[in-house]
Amino acid sequence: MTTRADAGSRLLRLLAVLTWLARQGRAPVSELSERFGLEPDELIADLELAACCGLPPYSPDQLMEIIIDDQEVVADLGTELGRSRRLTAAEGFALAASARAILAVPGADPDGALHRAVGKLEAVLGGRGLLRVDLDDPAHLAVIRDASEGGRQLELHYYSASSDRESTRIVDPVSVRLIEGHWYLDGYCHNAAGMRRFRVDRVSAARLTGEPACHHGDEAERQRTEEETQSSEAFVPGPEATVAHLAVDGEAVWITEALLNSSSEPLSDGRTGVTLAVASTVWFGRLLLRLGPHAEVLDPPELAETGRHAARQLLARYRPAATP
Amino acid sequence: MVDRLERLTDLVLVLLRDQRPKTLREIASEVPGYPAQEGEARRQAFERDKRTLRDGGIEVTATPIDGPEQVGYVIRPEDYYLPDLDLAPDEQAALNLAVAGVHLGDPSGRDALWRLGLPASAGARTVAELPALPALPVLHGALRGRATVRFDYRGETRRVDPALLRFHGGWWYLVGYDLDRAAPRTFRVDRMDGDVAAAAPGSAVLPDGFDPDAALPDVPWRIGEGAPVTVAVHVDAALAGLVLDEVGAAALAGRGEDGSVVLHLEVTNTAALRSWLFELGDHAEVLGPEEVRAEVVAWLEAVAGVPATPGAPA
Repeated sequence: MTTRADAGSRLLRLLAVLTWLARQGRAPVSELSERFGLEPDELIADLELAACCGLPPYSPDQLMEIIIDDQEVVADLGTELGRSRRLTAAEGFALAASARAILAVPGADPDGALHRAVGKLEAVLGGRGLLRVDLDDPAHLAVIRDASEGGRQLELHYYSASSDRESTRIVDPVSVRLIEGHWYLDGYCHNAAGMRRFRVDRVSAARLTGEPACHHGDEAERQRTEEETQSSEAFVPGPEATVAHLAVDGEAVWITEALLNSSSEPLSDGRTGVTLAVASTVWFGRLLLRLGPHAEVLDPPELAETGRHAARQLLARYRPAATP
Repeated sequence: MVDRLERLTDLVLVLLRDQRPKTLREIASEVPGYPAQEGEARRQAFERDKRTLRDGGIEVTATPIDGPEQVGYVIRPEDYYLPDLDLAPDEQAALNLAVAGVHLGDPSGRDALWRLGLPASAGARTVAELPALPALPVLHGALRGRATVRFDYRGETRRVDPALLRFHGGWWYLVGYDLDRAAPRTFRVDRMDGDVAAAAPGSAVLPDGFDPDAALPDVPWRIGEGAPVTVAVHVDAALAGLVLDEVGAAALAGRGEDGSVVLHLEVTNTAALRSWLFELGDHAEVLGPEEVRAEVVAWLEAVAGVPATPGAPA
């Protein structure tokens, strides 16, 4: 028995396959299966069914002309089925948001091809001026992005929130990306002798060393770095990172959305359990300050003290005399 | 027994290809798979199919016609086909790169490119990752259709005429006119509880001169409904430069000889200020006013597990 949702999504998928076939005329089963994310036998079953569809009186000349063998699908479906269907709400949003985001990258050409494409898109979708993306423009973003594009080595003055220290680093940039509203530079840090992630708005000075970035341009390395750092937050959790478990109430549940490298699950007492990697107790202490009384460290016990310690340290600024 | 997928496919073809509105009786005779007998079962099967199509973005329009059944059904081409965007090759390429460069957490962007007949570009670098939330397409659709939206927010149901969807500081916001408060309001989309419902297109009417830019301030501590208060914050030399870059020189109220700065911040949301402040660790301190300083101290005492300061306001 097929459920309503199943039949509906199968229909949309089938219409998409048919549009593709109407334009292409023929396509290998493997290509269709990959493009539309369908198992070959599912695909063939749906196409065989479609071959029985058409217009009354459903005589052979009124059915869709689709010939399927093990390897290939050949179809003659006419021009109507080849026309694009309207964008779904999700697709229209994704296109508009992507284009608006790229236009908001500092240095983007405000009158370029993308700007014109967005104009045409919004004219058709009916959404002019309804969606805006603001991206940060930290002081040293331009020089860092240029260095990353051009494979140039950088010298950075960098404030690290995890060590609470400013230091000078020599970095071979690998990629610059906006994550959670902040720009991050991923690169090979010569001082740390490893890949590190830097928040661009914590860079207080940046200059080219004049050397090429020796870790730049290697596609395999770049992809590996992106995968490794894909789900990390403001730091790359090294082997020294500790896994912490928190329980947070409704006031602090935003943490599950704000930290990409966390996972969450409902707890039996109504709170939310959050699991995250902690590479720096300074960073973790400040996170616990922000969560305040709405979070409790369940595990490990040695991290439970971190929040109290951070709070006492900061309280010392507010009431020096009262602190032992 | 006709497979439901087959019935749906035939239904789309029949309602789309022949642009004459058809009665349910005609549809049942032309599309295999509906109950042979006229009556409630057939009507229900058809209504169910219509809903399935609408859920997939295919609108079946009912129009009055002559004859005993009085209502005919059709899929209008303008509701089904995408109008030609007429993109020049460089515009297509730019759109491709944009979709490849922005990570939205689902494949809708690539699906859209495919639907426009544009090949997805491989190997492009991710430039930005923006959070994907199920409410976003609904809100975007409501904006495009000028529809009032309704959603639960902080335990209350809100009715809002939407004006702008804005990504700012890592979060998506809806800016609009709150019908019950009769005032401009800004909502974090990720804090909306449950589904967002959109009323009929055209139902939203923004007041004349509504300025969505004015409704969403640049800094988190201005996003709130509290009465504005000027908070003095001391930032030590280690972070003074970075913080000044962030808040802007207009907030600078004084410099110390040691390189530290005092900032005056207009605050309508002290919780947001506190969160921002604690990210700076012990490099920053609220100097005043006293009630805001006391609020910060009380929060810290709760975390520290130490007794409250004698005489501090509760």
